[in-house]
Amino acid sequence: MSKSLTGYPRADGRVGFRNQVLVMPLHSALCATARRISEESAAVAITHDWSGEIDADFARIFKVMTGFAANPNIFATIFLTLGTPGELEIIDKSKSIGLSNSTIVNVSEIGSMELLYEIALKEAISYLALADQVARVSVPWSSLHLGLECGGSDALSGITANPALGVASDMLVELGAVSVLGETTEILGAEHLLAARALDPNVGKQIIETVARYERSINYEGIDMRGAQPSRGNIEGGLTTLEEKSLGAAKKAGSAPFTGVLEYADPAPKPGLYFMDTPGHDIEQLTGFAAAGINIVVFTSGRGTPTGSAVVPTIKVSTNTQMALSIPDLIDLNAGTIADGTQTLREVGELIFNEIVDVANGKLTAAELGRHQEFSLSRMYGTQIN
Amino acid sequence: MKRQGFDRALRGVGIRDYQLILPSVVCSTRIASRIANEVGSKTFAHQHGCGIIGNDVEGISDFFCDLAKHPNVGTVLIVGLGCETIQGNELAAKVKESNPTTSYLVIQESGGVAGTFNDGITAAKLLKSTYPPHLKNLDELVVGVEFSNSNSEIESLIAELKASGIKFEIADQNKNPGLNFSELMRRGVHLIVSFTEPNQPPSGFPLIPTINIASDSALHSALAKEFDLPNGSTSSAILNFILDVADGKETKSELSKAGEIIAPRVVRSV
Amino acid sequence: MRSLLILNTIDNIAVALADLESGSIIEQDGLQIEVLNQIPRGHKIATKPISKNEGVIKYGERMGHATSDIKVGEHVHTHNVLGDRLSAEQVK
Repeated sequence: MSKSLTGYPRADGRVGFRNQVLVMPLHSALCATARRISEESAAVAITHDWSGEIDADFARIFKVMTGFAANPNIFATIFLTLGTPGELEIIDKSKSIGLSNSTIVNVSEIGSMELLYEIALKEAISYLALADQVARVSVPWSSLHLGLECGGSDALSGITANPALGVASDMLVELGAVSVLGETTEILGAEHLLAARALDPNVGKQIIETVARYERSINYEGIDMRGAQPSRGNIEGGLTTLEEKSLGAAKKAGSAPFTGVLEYADPAPKPGLYFMDTPGHDIEQLTGFAAAGINIVVFTSGRGTPTGSAVVPTIKVSTNTQMALSIPDLIDLNAGTIADGTQTLREVGELIFNEIVDVANGKLTAAELGRHQEFSLSRMYGTQIN
Repeated sequence: MKRQGFDRALRGVGIRDYQLILPSVVCSTRIASRIANEVGSKTFAHQHGCGIIGNDVEGISDFFCDLAKHPNVGTVLIVGLGCETIQGNELAAKVKESNPTTSYLVIQESGGVAGTFNDGITAAKLLKSTYPPHLKNLDELVVGVEFSNSNSEIESLIAELKASGIKFEIADQNKNPGLNFSELMRRGVHLIVSFTEPNQPPSGFPLIPTINIASDSALHSALAKEFDLPNGSTSSAILNFILDVADGKETKSELSKAGEIIAPRVVRSV
Repeated sequence: MRSLLILNTIDNIAVALADLESGSIIEQDGLQIEVLNQIPRGHKIATKPISKNEGVIKYGERMGHATSDIKVGEHVHTHNVLGDRLSAEQVK
């Protein structure tokens, strides 16, 4: 393989493929300021709806905020804070995960929202200048943590883009990278096939149990899932049942054996293919991946979506040629050629592999060019049961 | 009290004339924000619209309808993605039942981001020119009162509102002030008086002028100049401020751009 | 271009690679199928008869069951197929 990776090694041994400066508001009332800084500079920012409430979902929110702020693609994180104990705990934990450059801008010390903006913007600009001076160095394949995602699936997803992504994922796992399949909703009905590929029987059991736990939490609510899965868009595209969608979605994970199962937003401990328990909700999944230290995501779509993460480059692969042509600014690669008969699965898989490497090495994705920086906190609202 | 507002026919009379760019799903919040910035309309980010099940489907859809129904809102442009749970065309049909000055756009049918941006600007401008605002007497001002702990100031303000013939609604049940604001929005209040919780910063709801009143907490003392009214403001000072805001005076939260709103949910995303 | 994609020999459905006209005849891979409904691209067509409650097989795996008898050439979708899991029946 002639391709090789370059990136930015971090002090804790992880590697970034971007050198982002993130503005992270720790209270929803500070989000407008964060967004404004990202509009006025090359810094990235998130917004969220957490206002400091400590409830049953706090542990999950805490894990996501800390992991996200410490994603290895980040050169520096600027925290906008009220200085409450909960917020300061988030900052401390982000540092202990591995965030090395950070600045705290505390609005209750400054006393003015306008000054908060001015000071944080100035900090962002000086970090951006420093980040620009850092040179890429050659890094090993094990530094690549790939997230596998799909959204707006159609009937071709399981035939073109997903299995082609599976080819690329297998190639990377073979080279020693990490690859993570998410979306518990979308392996329901295919979990037996994934469990059969577990390296260790316990991992197989965990895959089955994770899906069963999910199923119990939905049944517990007494809800008919078919209103949401397959979604209306999926059904229009020809997908009939959740199992059918899952059988196609699981193809993103290729045919490599499963090394382990991860809880939402937990990092992979060593190279290999993993399954992570995430919602199917595109942004909650992408946010959980970023919080787990994943540094590149490939997102297959039959319908097209602008979705991107503030910190993780997200490569969009179209499942059909029609969509790739009609909304080109959302799409990086077209796998529809497999259905058209002009390219083979293997060929498109290699194209995706090459695109992953190129993007890791600095090529900007459509979502990055469009500055799409979505973020969503995943809450259970008390519906998590074990 | 003869006060002019904006005629919203069956939706009442508003004290502000906002055009709302309503993203019907988290995926379209960025593009909605770009359109709103370009044409000078109101929008906000939120995390809803897809991956929802059970009662949340109707709940979130009704929440969006209530946003569009609010009397401070003039015309509405709904921006959807296309494949989400709450479909733009159905939401638009439902919204139009109460606010007919609504149109909608779908990213997946508008040629992507650039296409949606251009179509969105055209559609938003067309809505504004087709439905210019008309003034009408505002017969009844409705004030929302948000607080976490009752105190004597709040009680005397409520007494004063009653005496002045001003209708009021109270929201005090949610831990997250954003949920209190959302609840008051659904009850159609024209403006909100927030007795900001001591450990919360001043904030507001994008479509509703919000008057933040400081407490004596350390946080509020530090952020004193971000509040509309200081700790210890008398109920008559608050009432005068309310009347000024109803007449067009802008609150601090109105001057800053709104970030993200929160809608009530009951079930996890799937 | 081929009009049908058969993903696994044990499947009882195929995926339409183009919009299929009702009444047209498809000859492919030794099959001859009369299309009984309008079938949009990406949707499924029965390649074998499927009885009510029998499994619908795609990718060689069960993706749900038929809720009525399905003839060869019929559109296979939500009107005649239901998932086995997380459906209303299971919830009740």
